[in-house]
Amino acid sequence: MTAPQSQVRDLSPARMGRQARQQPGSNPWFRLRAALGELALGGYGLLGYLFFYLPILILVFFSFNASRSTAQWTGFSLSWYAEMAGDQQIILALWNSLFVAIVSTVISTILGTLAAMAMERYDFVGKLGMDAVLYLPIVIPDIAMAIMLLIFFNLSGIGFEPWRLSLFGVRLAVPFSVIIGHVAFNISFVAVVVRARLANMDRSLEEAAQDLYANAWKTFRRVTLPLMMPGILGGALLAFTLSLDDFVITFFTSGAGFNTLPVRVFGMIKRGVTPKINAVSTVMLAASLLLVVISIVFRRGGDDSKIDFSL
Amino acid sequence: MSDGFAVELQEVVKRFGDVTAVDHISLQIRDGEFFSLLGPSGCGKTTTLRLIAGFEMPTSGQILIGGELQGYRPAFQRPVNTVFQHYALFPHMSVYDNVAFGLEMRGVPDKETKSRVHEALELVQLPGMVHRRPDQLSGGQQQRVALARALVNQPKVLLLDEPLGALDLKLRKAMQIELKALQHRVGITFIYVTHDQEEALTMSDRIAVIRRGRVLQMGAPEGIYEHPANRFVADFIGETKFIPGRVAALGPPVEVALDGGASVLCGWAEEGTTVGAEVTVSIRPERIGLQGVDDGGTGAELARLAGTITQAMYLGTDTRYVIEAAGGATLAVRMQNVGDGVQRHAVGDAVAVMWDPQHARVLID
Amino acid sequence: MQERWRRSPSFRAWLLLSPAAAWLLVFFLAPLVVVLVYSFLERGTYGGVIWNFTFGNFQRVVDSLYLNTLFRSTYIAVATTVLSLLFGFPLAYFIATRSRRHRNLLLLGLMIPFWTNFLIRTYAWLTILRTNTGLVNVSLMSLGLIDEPLPLFGNDFAIILGLVYGWMPVMVLPIYAALERIDRSLLEAAADLYASGFRVFTRVVWPLSIPGVVAGSMLVFIPALGAFITPAILGGGKSLMIGNIISNQFLAAHDWPFGSALSTVMMVLMLLATLIYFRTAIRTGTPR
Repeated sequence: MTAPQSQVRDLSPARMGRQARQQPGSNPWFRLRAALGELALGGYGLLGYLFFYLPILILVFFSFNASRSTAQWTGFSLSWYAEMAGDQQIILALWNSLFVAIVSTVISTILGTLAAMAMERYDFVGKLGMDAVLYLPIVIPDIAMAIMLLIFFNLSGIGFEPWRLSLFGVRLAVPFSVIIGHVAFNISFVAVVVRARLANMDRSLEEAAQDLYANAWKTFRRVTLPLMMPGILGGALLAFTLSLDDFVITFFTSGAGFNTLPVRVFGMIKRGVTPKINAVSTVMLAASLLLVVISIVFRRGGDDSKIDFSL
Repeated sequence: MSDGFAVELQEVVKRFGDVTAVDHISLQIRDGEFFSLLGPSGCGKTTTLRLIAGFEMPTSGQILIGGELQGYRPAFQRPVNTVFQHYALFPHMSVYDNVAFGLEMRGVPDKETKSRVHEALELVQLPGMVHRRPDQLSGGQQQRVALARALVNQPKVLLLDEPLGALDLKLRKAMQIELKALQHRVGITFIYVTHDQEEALTMSDRIAVIRRGRVLQMGAPEGIYEHPANRFVADFIGETKFIPGRVAALGPPVEVALDGGASVLCGWAEEGTTVGAEVTVSIRPERIGLQGVDDGGTGAELARLAGTITQAMYLGTDTRYVIEAAGGATLAVRMQNVGDGVQRHAVGDAVAVMWDPQHARVLID
Repeated sequence: MQERWRRSPSFRAWLLLSPAAAWLLVFFLAPLVVVLVYSFLERGTYGGVIWNFTFGNFQRVVDSLYLNTLFRSTYIAVATTVLSLLFGFPLAYFIATRSRRHRNLLLLGLMIPFWTNFLIRTYAWLTILRTNTGLVNVSLMSLGLIDEPLPLFGNDFAIILGLVYGWMPVMVLPIYAALERIDRSLLEAAADLYASGFRVFTRVVWPLSIPGVVAGSMLVFIPALGAFITPAILGGGKSLMIGNIISNQFLAAHDWPFGSALSTVMMVLMLLATLIYFRTAIRTGTPR
């Protein structure tokens, strides 16, 4: 620790700087401390990621368990997957989930994109208020939103009658209330993502199109829309994921007897833990992973290199 | 209505809220001219360009293109094309699609489009890159694509908004020459916005110097450089030395008394100069001569000031001297290093600075 | 024609906005108002309401039983936030100090669990923590390390663990973003000026990361306070939070006005947290 002091006598700025930078490296104590610090940080990082992934891996692991236990390994088996595939309730819930997610994604993507364009491109009376209204569904806890909608649908009498249709031979009866609720929270998320994309867009590209004889519609069609597309797809993907994942709002707005996959899983958990739930969970995890991969591919195409975590 | 002007601005005003970006600008830009709008950032030059292009609509005043009144005609109906500051190439289209965009919008047949796109790319010396995406090109190449994309439409007027601003110095110099040659070849009127006075001087047929939304001076580069109309223009374009003083007699030549008691003769005075007014004498460094006091020599026709050298800076081809002159004025003089190339004066030497009065200009502060 | 809509941007903006605005007006704002109104009404016999104005629901909220839950929920949310910060900050620091390529991978690695279903992630902890049949207790007992199962489940510990697990990523991300913006040369400059590692942290790194800490705390606190799934699954039916009390009013007790009042209180708490956040954000210059 005394070594640097003897060198401070050379006061030329260049030498001072060099000495100071060399100081930690030149002293073995400093070097050891730095190495230990780096090691501890690396170890901590490893533990952190273990914390995030271990429970998921355990969940997947026991979905292949031969016995009914989710804690004691008794041998490999696919029987829980077979049981899942044979459970008509689960299959129906899966179809319900997909149907609700697709319909609500389409509606909320269109509405959210239009709203994003208005919010990003115009100054108008009431913009601040609209900003707040778009922001609220993101911050309000889903339980509050769920009971809000529950009371509203009960009071108004709209929504609970189901939309009956047959899809690939499966007869669905999806309450409008669920779709309405999903759209209500997804609009905001789509709008946020598309707005971010629009905000980053160079306005002179549209001017260039106008300069090259494109009228308002052609400018939108050939320049604005293609450049917005990664944002729109990103927003749609987010809406789709949120819709597939939602349990609370679906649970409260669906009325009795309607299950999406998360609602079904919640019901199964309440009745008792079995590896069958692990099997269903594993399938849902795989689907989430697939969506993440798709979103990465979209981002690659959308020429922003940095990952956008708009949540 | 056509007077042979490619673009004419009549008393054009543009306000954004309380801010007046363009304040009664009138311009007459001739066919085939390389015309520069020169000024510091925020002076309104880019807004003027955008008004011509149709991206902004004037608050008042008229804009004529090819003798035709533009009114509120939107950008896509105007016979001009723009090269944007950061090129604004469509990132989702290939080079070919970028260049072909304007032709496609106007419904030019595919076959003709194809040959014209290739012609345009050859014109900007960028053949064989048609399938690349803009992000696969260097800055200089993007610049050329932007040029081709505008020129392919054979506009009456090409508008260029600081097109070389994003390029490095060496490339910028090369592109200046190339742009000028290109303009000569295609014979289109270029309206060129820049804040770089050197760029404007080298390339332009005429320059309009703009400040705070007004045209301060308009004319050929030589005229603006040699005969700046006011202090801002003298200061903004090239290097100028200013000597404060008071007008003693309104010549011509005008006699200006300096603070130290000496007086100098000037060939030109800004309009409105009166006897006794506080003024500055402006003179270009290269117009000032230097003489050792012992050298003798006369030349009654020259203005002379005695002084002492306080700095000598060797610059290779030139040596730059700073001289503390009688009356407290500081002057810079640039002397070419001709002959044996040895510095002829040293710091501390007593010298006389002198100039032809016709190069000294009296400007009101 | 061109000029007409150019001159009324408000009209065009609202034309674009109208579908979303209408949807949110009818299916978000109207329900919000209904909840506020309901919270001042009396309960009906069969789950309905009687249109009599009353403050009674809010008086009941302040009853010791519910006030307790309210305090406990706030305590759990605060604990979740603090623990997420405590464990999340070093993780953000770890990610921020890796090379660019590794950073992107690590961020993706952080997001993947976050993107998977919350219910499933909570269920995963259920299989690990359960008292008699959970992985931890089963393993420890079969190894003979313990005789009695550890109390890992059906208590605040389990809920807080589940919430930290679920929401820590949204704490790490904004802190990481703040750390990543810190110019490396600042740290070198500080070290160059003889600052020790600890003082580089307290004087340079921490102050510059505060905007990220504030944003992250906000993003964790709000969903933790409104948690429903986590206490429902990991609370084992005994340890409840305000979200569960609210849902009980609708699913079991059929006291809608009281449930509405509880929701109103919860939303007011959120609003307060948001206001505090914005005031801090303005003071510390957090980009929002």
